[in-house]
Amino acid sequence: MAKPKIEEYARVIRSQNFDEIMMLADKLAGKRVKMVNATAVGGGVAEILTRVVPLYNQLGLKVKWEVIKGTGAFFAVTKNFHNALHGSKVEIGEKDFAVFNEATEANLAEMDFTGDDYVIVHDPQPAGLIAAKEKSQAKWAWRCHIDTAHPQADVWNFLRQLIVKYDASIFSTPWFARDLPHPQYFIYPAIDPLSEKNRNLSRHEIDTVLNKYQIDRNRPLVVQVSRFDRLKDPLGVIETYRLVKKQVDCQLVLAGGAAADDPEGVQVLNEVTEAAKGDPDIHILALPPFADLEVNALQRAATVVLQKSLREGFGLTVTEALWKGKPVVASAVGGITLQVIHNFTGLLVHSVEGAAYQIRYLIGNPQVAKKLGEYGREHVREKFLITRKLRNYLLLFIALDHPGQDIIKL
Amino acid sequence: MRAAVPFIFYTSSQLVEITGRQATDLVELVAALKELDLSVVFYHVHHAFREHQFAPGVYTNDFAHWVGRELGEAVLAEKLANLNIKEYVELSALRDALVAIIESYLKLGGELRHAAAGRGFYFCKNIGVIQPTRYVAWDLDEFCSLLHLVGLRSLFFHFFEARLRLNRQSNDFSDWIKQQFGNERLARRIEALDPYIYTMDELRDQIVALICGGRTQPNWFDKVKIWLSLK
Repeated sequence: MAKPKIEEYARVIRSQNFDEIMMLADKLAGKRVKMVNATAVGGGVAEILTRVVPLYNQLGLKVKWEVIKGTGAFFAVTKNFHNALHGSKVEIGEKDFAVFNEATEANLAEMDFTGDDYVIVHDPQPAGLIAAKEKSQAKWAWRCHIDTAHPQADVWNFLRQLIVKYDASIFSTPWFARDLPHPQYFIYPAIDPLSEKNRNLSRHEIDTVLNKYQIDRNRPLVVQVSRFDRLKDPLGVIETYRLVKKQVDCQLVLAGGAAADDPEGVQVLNEVTEAAKGDPDIHILALPPFADLEVNALQRAATVVLQKSLREGFGLTVTEALWKGKPVVASAVGGITLQVIHNFTGLLVHSVEGAAYQIRYLIGNPQVAKKLGEYGREHVREKFLITRKLRNYLLLFIALDHPGQDIIKL
Repeated sequence: MRAAVPFIFYTSSQLVEITGRQATDLVELVAALKELDLSVVFYHVHHAFREHQFAPGVYTNDFAHWVGRELGEAVLAEKLANLNIKEYVELSALRDALVAIIESYLKLGGELRHAAAGRGFYFCKNIGVIQPTRYVAWDLDEFCSLLHLVGLRSLFFHFFEARLRLNRQSNDFSDWIKQQFGNERLARRIEALDPYIYTMDELRDQIVALICGGRTQPNWFDKVKIWLSLK
């Protein structure tokens, strides 16, 4: 699918938001930006960078996206970091920090930041690249996509001594911010309404996907899309479905892929497959990378979209579902609470039982479900589309050039 | 009638900075309000006006919203929501008013309620980026047509932010109309509009209706004229 032109977004968003982007970009034309993360494929960060980088370049900035390299051992350590930052108890020792530092050194030897005006480093894996700041002219910002509200102390302290060297940090919500000596901004993550995962689909396209996975069009369908990760509570999703199934003859789709930086995924998938065994109405779909059309179709076919996460950075799969006008039942964790305003843009829950109750309610009350979906879509249109993110980053670049100023006149 | 000085539409964009300060009850809320930068007050009472409102029923100021939703203090939430930001020409006065309302409520001596874990009030501040748009009006007809083209953040800048910049009860539209066309009555009528009973789209339509009467949308001729002038 061809990458959309920036002008195409003017048809989706309000014109004032589009005009603002063009005006801000005008002031930053020619500026060199480097985005760095840990994986080119899989997971929300890679997905959004795939979309956003070409758009910045169309706007006249010179943006490059680079991915760090790492061994299996490095990604196992950073996965533990990820879980620890989310608040799970993880055993981390000096050996793990050494593996992290070794990979950082190897990447520093290969990467060049000469000529960059701004460097945006995403998440903990590449955070150590800040060592290159001394030799660079760029302003550096660390973009955290993780729920860091209650991080494990040893892991956070290790990362903090790197993060403090940045010029700014960016978090997805105010409550993820930490005690840091530099400005911390909050920028919502976002989805691309024109991507294969979010564009409008025809009835035929949706039915083709449902037929492929032998999903019955005529019975209620509960869908959770997320990678096979314990923090997404896939076993809790199956439990929820079984409670609903006692009352309503429904089906469950649990669909997700695995990211290159997530070695735990296969193990979780096996556990989930085992738990689902024997029930033909549970569809566990381990989707390959770039199965965006399938994800889109499954979300659009859903009667209710579920996001039963135990922890969540932001929850872009919730954003995707809301954008498609779907009623969403989701855990009240992390950034989900910014998107799902209870009884307004969706329903928030705190347990398997709560999730099951609300799913049953929405299946039985399609008019309520429709209204929640409509409000949810408008909420996303204003706050969580890629164009908002574009605008916020342009503002961030300007703010980085004007440290300490509350009002910046251009 | 052509103005001697045109109206240049500006717009203000906003980046949100997290202060790291949090309140979990009313005592902490008041303490932080007294200590934090005034740009924190600005952000929490204004940002809802900067965004497109698609549905009714949500308080426009964050303090009212949080006090009602997270502390269950419905009466105080309504008192805070009723604070009319248009009446304040200095942020310090607005802050004092917020503090006074909360402190009066605390004096009633009810039980001090605490927000659930993770549901505190997180103070943020506004980083504003201001720049002129390409839209410039020389007469009132042109002004009305352009007001439909500029964004709501431009409306926000000239209608809300202006009083804090000018430090008086007015707005940029009323000032320009009074100074360039001597029409004080029209200027007063625009200033008297109540932003709380309209969405921002409706507020814009009301301003245009006051200035240009029934003709609230630019006609094709206006659009062509504007388009040609911007080329």
